[in-house]
Amino acid sequence: MSKRNLFPFAAMVGQEQVKRALLIASVNPKVAGVLVSGAKGTGKSTMVRGLAEVVATGKMAELPLSVTEDMLFGSLDLTYALAQGTKRFSPGILAKAHGNILYVDDINLLRREFLNAILATAAQGVSIVEREGISERRVARYITIGTMNPEEGTLPPAVLDRFGLYAAAGGETTVAARVEIVRRVLAFEREPELFRQQYREMNENIRQQVSRAGKIIDNIEITQGMMSLAAQLSLQAHCAGHRAELFLLEAGKALAALAGREFLLPTDLEEAALFVLPHRMGREEQGPFERPGRFSEQQQEQEENRKESGEKEREEERQARGKFSNTAEPEADRVEPAGAVEPKEDREGEANRRQKEPVGPQCQESGYNGDVKDKTADIDITFPFLNLSLTLAPNRQVRRGSGKRNRTRSTQRRGRYVRAAFPCGPVTDLALDATLRAAAPYQKLRKKGKCRLTIQQEDLRQKVREQRSGNTFLFVVDASGSMGSYDRMRAVKGAIFAVLRDAYQKRDQVGLIAFRRQRAEVLLPVTRSVDLAQKCLRQLPTGGKTPLAEGLSKAFSLLKLMGKKEKELEPVLFLVTDGRANSTRTGNGDAVADALKIAGKIRTEGFYSVVIDTESNFVKLGIAQAVAHTMGSAYYSLQEISDEKIVRIVKNMPYQ
Amino acid sequence: MKDPSVYPFTAIVGQDDMKLALILNAINPALGGVLIKGEKGTAKSTAVRALADLLPALEVVEDCPFHCDPREPRGMCANCQARAEGEQMLASRSMKMRVVELPVNATEDRVVGTLDLEQAIQDGKKQFEPGILAQANRNILYVDEVNLLDDHVVDVLLDAAAMGVNTVEREGISYSHPARFVLVGTMNPEEGDIRPQLLDRFGLSVTVAGEHLPELRVEVIKRRLAYEQDPVSFLEIYQAEQEALGQRIVQARRLLPQVEIDDELLIRVATIALELEVDGHRADITVIKTALTLAALAGRDKAEPEDLKKALRLALPHRMRRRPFEEGVLDWEKIEALFAKG
Repeated sequence: MSKRNLFPFAAMVGQEQVKRALLIASVNPKVAGVLVSGAKGTGKSTMVRGLAEVVATGKMAELPLSVTEDMLFGSLDLTYALAQGTKRFSPGILAKAHGNILYVDDINLLRREFLNAILATAAQGVSIVEREGISERRVARYITIGTMNPEEGTLPPAVLDRFGLYAAAGGETTVAARVEIVRRVLAFEREPELFRQQYREMNENIRQQVSRAGKIIDNIEITQGMMSLAAQLSLQAHCAGHRAELFLLEAGKALAALAGREFLLPTDLEEAALFVLPHRMGREEQGPFERPGRFSEQQQEQEENRKESGEKEREEERQARGKFSNTAEPEADRVEPAGAVEPKEDREGEANRRQKEPVGPQCQESGYNGDVKDKTADIDITFPFLNLSLTLAPNRQVRRGSGKRNRTRSTQRRGRYVRAAFPCGPVTDLALDATLRAAAPYQKLRKKGKCRLTIQQEDLRQKVREQRSGNTFLFVVDASGSMGSYDRMRAVKGAIFAVLRDAYQKRDQVGLIAFRRQRAEVLLPVTRSVDLAQKCLRQLPTGGKTPLAEGLSKAFSLLKLMGKKEKELEPVLFLVTDGRANSTRTGNGDAVADALKIAGKIRTEGFYSVVIDTESNFVKLGIAQAVAHTMGSAYYSLQEISDEKIVRIVKNMPYQ
Repeated sequence: MKDPSVYPFTAIVGQDDMKLALILNAINPALGGVLIKGEKGTAKSTAVRALADLLPALEVVEDCPFHCDPREPRGMCANCQARAEGEQMLASRSMKMRVVELPVNATEDRVVGTLDLEQAIQDGKKQFEPGILAQANRNILYVDEVNLLDDHVVDVLLDAAAMGVNTVEREGISYSHPARFVLVGTMNPEEGDIRPQLLDRFGLSVTVAGEHLPELRVEVIKRRLAYEQDPVSFLEIYQAEQEALGQRIVQARRLLPQVEIDDELLIRVATIALELEVDGHRADITVIKTALTLAALAGRDKAEPEDLKKALRLALPHRMRRRPFEEGVLDWEKIEALFAKG
């Protein structure tokens, strides 16, 4: 498609930072690309695509996510091989992008190997190909521009560091700007030609500015003073490595050139810092840069959370006063249930308090019918983000699925075709393109049949497909009275929520089982809807005895069922309990022994598991730990995970 | 000739929001489609398939696999563009807008297109074999159970939907063609969620539920039975209604480019969007476009506050979710209050 009606770059309202970053990169390829990050619908892609009309070459190479390896790196020239009977290289996108802009939309979803190759090739300026009997080196200097929506997952720091510039795109926050955006979009859609006409001159001015800057940029000299300033700025931001300084100077040069100057000013570097530093700032300090940038956003978010939690705490305090001292004002929506005396349980300290605990408004929504003694803790959303690190045995099973955590080769004929390979055994999924390329050079030597091409057994290539297979997390949550105090349950929910958040980003599946009183209940069958899990969690009330064995047994049967249905998914059991089992499945006998028995079974079946121990009494019984040991689980105390912020799940972990 | 295997759209009982959303998209394909959420057996798929009958005719370039619009050279595929520059007029024909289905188990190569096997082996030529996205250009792309779609297929859909272009760089083929489609999806929310980015691509969203009134439920059964017994006569009964609705759609389509909206209403929408902290600008844009289309459907050349209110109900609910896990309920009272204030 040669000509498209692009939304003019000059017609974009706001987003000055993004525009500026894009212009810098267009003027000076040495800044090593731009990463634009922002929520959906903020015009990221439109802006980048519009950039094509203001850069010198007037075009842009786009890399679709469905790209295959041969197209990216280049491959054998099929037509030439057929005609001449010899091999010739047909350059890939990387080589073809030389001297151009290479744009990847949703870059965070691109296969990591491809992304690394793109960035490495850009840094080296050469594309090196060794494949299909071809050895080739080609000059490949291009400007990588990537856009991403952080909601869909983030990029690791090492990848981030390879991008020279970073710009955050956000929605406009003034009514006037928003209205103007709507107006322009409507005008563009109604009469694209007319609209483009109106912005032609402005676009042309930008194009000339870029082209003039490109001409003078090489005249700009970098003085000693500027170098020190760059170093100073990088130091202040705690940047690791030395890329920051170099990018600062290059971006500064571009800014000076855009301003029509042939010398650098300190302000150039200061402005450059807005784009060069945000994504490589160290954690210790936030640095002097308050403007966009991911980190300042995060900081703000934390700030907001803190405020929010502060309010919550005050709210809780008020409630607590109401609960414990009877001095506070009575609350209208909280009813003291008549005769709500909980059977005396194992934890005297809290038992008498609990007697008076009010009914939360959400109680009715819970799966437990009509019980008035329950309470429903909210989720502690300030709980630190948890990273789940899975060390699963490789290739235990052939997987299929669509989560992000594990990318596994798929033997099904589904998934993304990434490359072709020699088949091992019969060809089940023919890689036609690769097969043809393999056959092409030998056509002159082969006997002609009816077809133009004679394909022999040795030419056949198999498609290698890849699919993201997610994990399944089955949460088994103790909702008994001993888990009780509002704050603790809130923290427990916070921890689960943190795991859910990670699961959400990696598109895992989750299920939720809660146990208390005499039974365990599947609150949420395994689903990809993490939102639903969160709702269940929010509404989960606590109170009553602890039928740990029942909970585990329910989980065990569910896990087995899942194993039958989807062999390729490795479920992980997450047990959250204080281990104070006091209710058996049969109604008599030792509750703990009962639980351990099932824990043993779970281990024998080879399920992965994690135990989060919420026991916090002065005298620790360590039952949860014993269960973890028997089950071969990774074991964490609630405190540990909130400190370490990571949960390592290793199969059959040794007892610690 | 009516297709007796398609249940008539006008014979669907109730589900007014869903029907309205579909009709609006038939009038204005730029709305960006609709996501229909609801339990099983609530006529979601029936309605989408039935829409086909009401869709207007399109003028397309003869022999073009992407059914390019002969009057819009810049939206054409490279081939048509080249031909348009050479010849005076491209031969064209009239084609009915279609509902193209994307099955949940579709493979990526079928969706984006692939290397033509026959051409390659017989003639040794690399030829692009268009996929579902090519068929969907200027048509409706319907994904049943869109929440169960494979992630990488979703990626491809998003890619294409973003710019209305399908770029193929795979299997020895480097090709790009227009792929502007109205995305219509149905899902049962209990079977899992949909990625927010895909969610945002749907212009409108509606939630359907089974009818609660016994009379209506009985009516649903009656009609279904009558249809199954004798589809041809059943279709005849609704013939007049179908034609009338089809006519209304055609008229609204004609009127749409002239519909105006007051600045004051634009300001109200922007204020509401800011207040609700929706991501990006798609919400604002879609609300306004929907209001314009609603006005066109009503035969007016000016959008009224009532149109806007209805548009907010259709375009906002699925955009309310900001971050994972924050409750994304549309606070309608808040909107009403904001609306009254503006």
